[in-house]
Amino acid sequence: MRLLRDIAKHKAIYFMILPMVLYYIIFKYVPMYGSIIAFQDFRVAKGIGGSDWAGLKHFIAFFDSVYFFRVLKNTLLISLYNLVFGFPVPILFAILLNEIRNRLFKSVVQTVSYLPHFISLVVICGLIISFTSRDGVINSLIAFFGGERSALLGDPANFRTIYVISQIWQEMGWSSIIYLAALSGINPEIYEAAKVDGAGRFRQIWSITLPSLVPVITILLILRIGGMMEVGFEKIILLYNPNTYETADVISSFVYRKGLAEGAEYSFTTAVGLFQAVINFILLIGANTFSRRLSDNRLW
Amino acid sequence: MNSKQSRGSIVWAAVLAFGILLSACGGASQPSASSGVKEGSETPVLTFWAALNGNASSVVKSLDDIPMVKEWQRRTNVDFQFIHPVSTSNSDVMQQFNVMLASNELPDVMQLQWTGIQGGAAKMYNDGTIMKLNDLIEAHAPNLKKIIDEYPSIAKQLMADNGDIYVFPDLKVGEYGKYKTFAGLMIRQDWLDELGLPQPETVDEWETVLRTIKEKKGIIPFTANKNRLFGTKDSSDFLGAYGLGQSFYVDNGKVKYGPMEPRFKDYLVRMQSWYKEGLIDPDYATNDSKLMDSRVSSGQAAAFFGYIGSSMGTYVPALQQADPAARLAAVQFPVLNKGEKPLFVPAQWEFTGIGAVLSATNKHPEETIKALDYLFSPEGSMLKNFGIEGETYTLENGQPIYTDLILNNPDNLSVSQAMAKYFIANYSFIGPADDRYNDQYYTIPEQKEAIKRYAEYADNAYRVMMPPVSLTTEEADEFGSIMNDIETYRSEFVTKIIMGSEPVASFDTMVAQFEKMKIGRAIEIQQAALDRYNSR
Repeated sequence: MRLLRDIAKHKAIYFMILPMVLYYIIFKYVPMYGSIIAFQDFRVAKGIGGSDWAGLKHFIAFFDSVYFFRVLKNTLLISLYNLVFGFPVPILFAILLNEIRNRLFKSVVQTVSYLPHFISLVVICGLIISFTSRDGVINSLIAFFGGERSALLGDPANFRTIYVISQIWQEMGWSSIIYLAALSGINPEIYEAAKVDGAGRFRQIWSITLPSLVPVITILLILRIGGMMEVGFEKIILLYNPNTYETADVISSFVYRKGLAEGAEYSFTTAVGLFQAVINFILLIGANTFSRRLSDNRLW
Repeated sequence: MNSKQSRGSIVWAAVLAFGILLSACGGASQPSASSGVKEGSETPVLTFWAALNGNASSVVKSLDDIPMVKEWQRRTNVDFQFIHPVSTSNSDVMQQFNVMLASNELPDVMQLQWTGIQGGAAKMYNDGTIMKLNDLIEAHAPNLKKIIDEYPSIAKQLMADNGDIYVFPDLKVGEYGKYKTFAGLMIRQDWLDELGLPQPETVDEWETVLRTIKEKKGIIPFTANKNRLFGTKDSSDFLGAYGLGQSFYVDNGKVKYGPMEPRFKDYLVRMQSWYKEGLIDPDYATNDSKLMDSRVSSGQAAAFFGYIGSSMGTYVPALQQADPAARLAAVQFPVLNKGEKPLFVPAQWEFTGIGAVLSATNKHPEETIKALDYLFSPEGSMLKNFGIEGETYTLENGQPIYTDLILNNPDNLSVSQAMAKYFIANYSFIGPADDRYNDQYYTIPEQKEAIKRYAEYADNAYRVMMPPVSLTTEEADEFGSIMNDIETYRSEFVTKIIMGSEPVASFDTMVAQFEKMKIGRAIEIQQAALDRYNSR
């Protein structure tokens, strides 16, 4: 009743939110129905309704698989490195940008840093491959300083480093937009008051800018932790090779190989995907609860 | 802090966050597949899914743009609506096929390499997605029926164990279907001559040749790319010399798995030492085919595995542009001891496994089969392989000779592109292949030599090659999930051994792991399928 009254009162706002609600229903909630095939021996022609039930067979097969621990470990490690090294960078970048007073310079830097985000991933990976190849730029630098040339992507020890660094380069500018938006919301009077009190630049950043960012940082951190089990397969499969599977093969690339590229084990790969989603869900709730207990910043 | 303003900024930030989430989810659309009859005409409209071959995709957008295909539809009174996967690479085609299959909206006709998919066409029939063709062929495909009756060995390849036929084939048959080996090892013949080396026959001789070239020319002589990793199921190098198939092969009626045999260890020892010595490209696992092309055409590599048509056909002109004396030559498949005859030649069966299936929802199976069968008729075969008489070929003494439109194209298209623009000869498609196309397609003398050299021992291959067996749905499921894991494990482990990050002694660990992953069961399944095949 209260909701209906509220809708009547704020028609325009509810109308604006409609496309997003529809998006989530159509693309996120309806497909959940398909997860049923994780518990079936799915046959395309019989469909979801007609395929035979298989219980937890596919989940057990995944946990028993020799690759289970490896893909789990790789997924978590790549996510963790991405979080530890990748998460603070856009924050620092946004703060630095915020301190720049020359408008033209600021917008040029901003635009240039967004660019990699808009380049197709295939092209990005093409760049990475040629930069890291034996005759590439990075090897030329190494050789210049007296090192030896090698195919960097061919060595399993390098894979995660290359992945994470290129990831930071790709997303640094784009991810900083949110922080810049939050920074623009800080009341300039506070800075002026601080200046009157004799606070320097660093003092202002430490005592005003950062605390103002904490709510946004917390929310994004919770979201990131909720996505820990997810490392997109596209970039992985464009960069790995059998010699680097050991450090590069993650859950999603494993699912891709088994479900789409080489085999057509739809039920098995759905089970793996479902497992991944459940863990993500637990992590998200865990992070949110933790943050709520510790401070008052939370998603819900 | 001004609380109103800071709340506003959080809302603003959240909106942005959603925007980013949204932008991360790209949409993909599928062409909708439907069949029906064009209004006001009797011509059935049929959707036709097929990967566009690389030669064709460089000159046409769709098979429908090819004059021969237009003429074929006109003569057989059907209207094919072609649907092509966006990319021509094999793994992308497979991916799109699997996605299409999962959507359960299938085109009327689909062409693919059916032996390459798990469970093959038989599984699709058992799933109810495609039709059985026996009765249709009996009633409406007189030309293919004649071939099946005449050649029992071809009938055996086409049939499933229970005698069903699901695939309308691409065949190499009869007087003009003798060439069955199109790829092999190639080497810079001009350098061999310069260094006074004979063509290598044994693996030891190869080692000497590669070492000499490395020393005298200062390059890493043997190159490969990540699509043909050494020692994996796509391996096309020296594995055959050790008497081993890439994967499953037949040894006196018994199915064996190459990488489990003790001789595989000898192979690994040799490859590891070559890698260490710098005789094979240290980047082979990361090279893509373009990188490999550039190594060969710029003279940074001397030997490799390649195709007579596409590799020789592009490398030789590229090499000779820089150095007119440069020559490539086909080398006979290697053996271990002098005087042995090569067994593991990459030869093709008469039925390559490529062909068309009719989806169960096809409303005009009769017309479809009639149209497909036309390509097996004498006129249809000429149309497919040579195009339209007077335009792309003329008859001299009863033999078709390509016109200048093909061999010296006025628009500067290469021969393979000109062919692909006007008809379907230089890649697999339903209907018979014709050797007389090859004789004219291979314009470089080295190529004409190569096709003969590779063919010399091709018949040996049929003694060891796994025939196109078919598995039951249950077998296919089990076999697929076993081999998926094993092949991943194998390609990773073998690559590590060759690159030296694992000792050769780990070979035993690898075999033990295969056994843990139930390779025994996979061999059993193949053996049972082979026995059924032999008693067809």
